Amino acid sequence: MSNREENIGGQKHPTPGKTAAVKKPASGKTVAKKAATKKAAARKVPVKKAVSKKAAGKKAARKAAARKAVPKPVSVLIVGAGFAGLGMAIRLKKAGIEDFVILERGERVGGTWRDNTYPGAACDIPSNLYSFSFAPNPNWSRSYSESAEILDYIEYLVAAFGLKQHIRFNHNVSGLDFDEKQGLWTARLAGGGTVRARSAVMAQGPLSNASLPDIEGVDAFRGKKIHSARWDHDYDFTGKRVAVIGTGASGIQIVPELVDRVASLKVFQRTPAWVIPRPDFQTPGWNKALFRAVPASQKALREALFWTHETMAMAVIWNSPLTRLAERLARRHLHRQVRDDWMRRQLTPDFRIGCKRVLVSNDYYPALQKDNARLITWPIAKLSENGIRTADGVEHELDCVVFATGFDVPKSGTPFPVRGRAGRELGEEWARGAQAYKSINVAGYPNLFFLFGPNSGPGHNSALVYMEAQLDYALRGVQRLMDDNLKLLDVKPAVQARHNKQLQKRLARTNWNSGCKSWYLTEDGFNATMFPGFATQYRAQMATFEDGDYERVAL
Amino acid sequence: MASIDLDKMLAKVKASQWALADIDWDAPGAELITDEQRPKLKAFMADLMWIEHVGARGFAAMARKAPNDTLKEMYTYFHAEEQRHANAEMALMKRWGMLDGDQVPEPNKNLRLVIQWLDRYSDDMPLEVLGSVIPMLEIALDGALCTFLLDTVDDPVCHQAFARINDDESRHLGVGFTVLEMQGHGDTYIKVLKTIATLMDPRLILGIASYVPLLNRMRDNIIDMGLGEERLYAAMKKFERIGGRTADGRRNPWYQIISRHGRIVINRRHKLYHAPVDAMVRLTDRIPDRVMPSRMPTWVKGITYKPVV
Repeated sequence: MSNREENIGGQKHPTPGKTAAVKKPASGKTVAKKAATKKAAARKVPVKKAVSKKAAGKKAARKAAARKAVPKPVSVLIVGAGFAGLGMAIRLKKAGIEDFVILERGERVGGTWRDNTYPGAACDIPSNLYSFSFAPNPNWSRSYSESAEILDYIEYLVAAFGLKQHIRFNHNVSGLDFDEKQGLWTARLAGGGTVRARSAVMAQGPLSNASLPDIEGVDAFRGKKIHSARWDHDYDFTGKRVAVIGTGASGIQIVPELVDRVASLKVFQRTPAWVIPRPDFQTPGWNKALFRAVPASQKALREALFWTHETMAMAVIWNSPLTRLAERLARRHLHRQVRDDWMRRQLTPDFRIGCKRVLVSNDYYPALQKDNARLITWPIAKLSENGIRTADGVEHELDCVVFATGFDVPKSGTPFPVRGRAGRELGEEWARGAQAYKSINVAGYPNLFFLFGPNSGPGHNSALVYMEAQLDYALRGVQRLMDDNLKLLDVKPAVQARHNKQLQKRLARTNWNSGCKSWYLTEDGFNATMFPGFATQYRAQMATFEDGDYERVAL
Repeated sequence: MASIDLDKMLAKVKASQWALADIDWDAPGAELITDEQRPKLKAFMADLMWIEHVGARGFAAMARKAPNDTLKEMYTYFHAEEQRHANAEMALMKRWGMLDGDQVPEPNKNLRLVIQWLDRYSDDMPLEVLGSVIPMLEIALDGALCTFLLDTVDDPVCHQAFARINDDESRHLGVGFTVLEMQGHGDTYIKVLKTIATLMDPRLILGIASYVPLLNRMRDNIIDMGLGEERLYAAMKKFERIGGRTADGRRNPWYQIISRHGRIVINRRHKLYHAPVDAMVRLTDRIPDRVMPSRMPTWVKGITYKPVV
C-alpha cells in the first residue's frame, strides 16, 4: 500500500508520546497493590527452592538449577497477537501490569489482518469505528480501510504501546491446563516447553483457522488452489481461467479485484447474500488535518458512526419495519446494478436480511456482469483434475480455483484442549454448543478469560466496540486476582446457567434464528455465536463485575 | 406412508452425480440413425430437450417454496439435473448432426408460451401447484417420451445417456410423489378451499392455457413419429396409480385435478375437451412471430452440448 508509511509516520501522537502516556499508570492504587501482590507471589511460589539452591553457592549446581528450574509464572498469559490479544496487552499496561506474555503462533502480529491479504480485503465497518477508541488514527485514508492499512494500524499499536517485548512469536499453544492447587494455568507449546500464568486470556480469534472445504476431488484438481486467507501473492493471474468458490464477505471482495486481471472468471455461488451499498470514499486532506488539530471532532464522528450502526440493529437483529426497509434498500441496489431478470433472481436471497452476515459492496454486481465473468449457481458436484464439475453435467476447465469459503468455526469446542478444574475438558463440555458467562468466563475454568467467546458476536456494529468492553471486564478480573490475592476466581455454575437461559430466550426472537443456515448456528441450530442485543446492551452487561457471581478462593 | 426418507434420498442424489464428460459422444453408433428417422427425430429431440429445460425451471421455482432445507437443496439439485438432461439431449443432437452449428434449436410455440409463463409466474405459484404438475410432466412427457425414444433408436450412446437420465428421473419421481403425499396430509376442506382460490388466479389460468395444449401437441408429435399414443396414456395412468397409492396422496386436491385431467386427455372420445384444445394447438401454430413474446429469458441460454466449457 502506498499510504503505509504515511500512516505510521503521520500519526498525530508519535510513538514516544504515546508510550509516555502509557507508562503513566492508570491508578496509583493498582500499582501499589501490584507490588504487594508480587511480593506475596514471591513468598508463595516455587522461588523458595531456587533461593535455597543459590545458597549452596556452587557454580555448576547453579547452572544445573537454572536449566531445571521452572520459570516463574507470569501474571497473565495471552494467546494470540491480533486485535484482541494486543488490546488486552495495552489495557494491562495502562493498568500498570507488566508481567504478561503474548503467545503468538505466527511470525507477525495482526491476526485476521495479517492472514487476510487477498486482493480487495477490507473491513465492512468504517475505520473510525473499527479501531480502538483509546488509540485513534486521524490518518485513515478511506472511510472503509483495506487490510494493509488496518495491519499498519495494528503494528503502530505494538510500537506505540511498547508491546513487542511481551510477544513470543512462533509459540503455538497446543493446550491449556489448570492446576487447582496452585491456581495456575499452564500453556503447552507445540514445539515443547510451557508457560505458566496466574490467569490466561484466550484471544486466538473465532475465525483464525482456514482449510479447503470438504468438496469431492479437492485433492484431485491439478491446477492452482488458493484459499482467501492464505493468499499467494506470487501467483500471476494474467490470462488465467479462474474460479472463485464462495460469495460471502471475502468472495465478493475478491471478485471485483480479479475480474480485470484474468481471462475468465467463474463465480460459484451456493447462497446469495444480501448486499447493501458501501458509502466508501477517500478521506479528504482537510478532514485528516481537522482530526489532528481537534481530536474531539474525530471522537464526535466515532460517536455518530456508533449510533448509526446501533440503529441498524433494529433492521438486522430483529424483525421490524426497519428490516423491510433494509431489504428494500438492498433490492434497489441489486435492481440498479443488475439488468437481467434471471441474474437478479439468482442474486436475490430467500432469507430475511440479517439472518446471515449482511455484505457491503458497490463493485461486486458490476464485476459479475463483465464480459469475461459468469455467475454459476449450479451445485458443485466435484472437482476434477482439470476443473469443476457442476450438477448440470458440465465441466468448467480452470487454471486456478480460489476458495473464498470462510473459516473453520469451532462451533463445538476449542482450537486446542483446555482442561479446567478436576480435569474437565472444555471441548467436551461445549460439544453440543458453547456456553459462557457474559461471553468471557466459563464455570469450572477459573482465572480464564475469553475474548470473543460464546455469544459475543455483533451483527450490526464494530467488533472492536464489543472487544473494548471485554478487555475492561477481563482486566477487572485480572485485577481481582492480583489485588485480592486470589487463587481462584470461578464463575458460579448457577449464575452461568441463568445467564444462558435468558440469552437463548432472547436469541430465539432474533433474525439469526429465523430459519436460515449460517455459521452462527451449530448443526442443531444452537446459536453460540451472537449477542442478541444492541452494542449498548452488551457494554452495559460487561460494565459491572459482580463479585457475588464468582466463587473466590484465597491464595 | 409410502414416503421415502428425504435426507437419505438427498445423500443418494449427491452421490449419483454424473457429467457429460462421462460419456464418449464420439463412440461408434451414430450411423444407426436412418435418414428417414432424422427429420422427425430432430423435432422430437428438440421438444424433449426443451421440456427438460422447462422442467428445470419448474424445480427452480419449487426450491424457493420448499418447506424445509432438505427439499430446498433437493430441488436445487433437480433443477441442475434437468438441465443436465437437456444438455445431454443436445449433445445427442450434436452427435447425430441435427444442430445448426452451435445453435440451440428453437422451441416450438407451445413451449415458448410455457417458458414465458414459467419465467413470469412460476415463482408466485404455491408449491402445491408445481408439486403436482411437475411429476405429471415428468412422468408423462419426460418418462414416456424417453421410453419411446429407446424403442426407436438403436444408437448405444443414446441408450447409455438415457440409462443415466432415467435413473435421475426415477429419483425425481420418488420425491415428487412423496411431496404429493405430504401435501395431501391434513385437513382436506382447507386444502380444497385453497385450491379453488389458487385456481381463480388469472396467472394460473394462463399457465393452464399453456400446459393443456402442450400435452396434445406432444401426443401429435408421437403419432407423427409412428408410435402408438397408448404409451403416453399408459404413462399418464401411472401418475394416477402411483400418486393415488396412499390416502394422503388421494386427499391432495391437486392430485385429483391433474389425474382427472389426465383421464380426459387420454380419452379421445371426449370431444368437449379435445376439440377446443386441438384447436388451441393449431391456433398457437398460427400465432405470427411478431405477436409471440419476443424476449426470451436468459435462463434458456444456459443450455450447452459441450461436456467441457
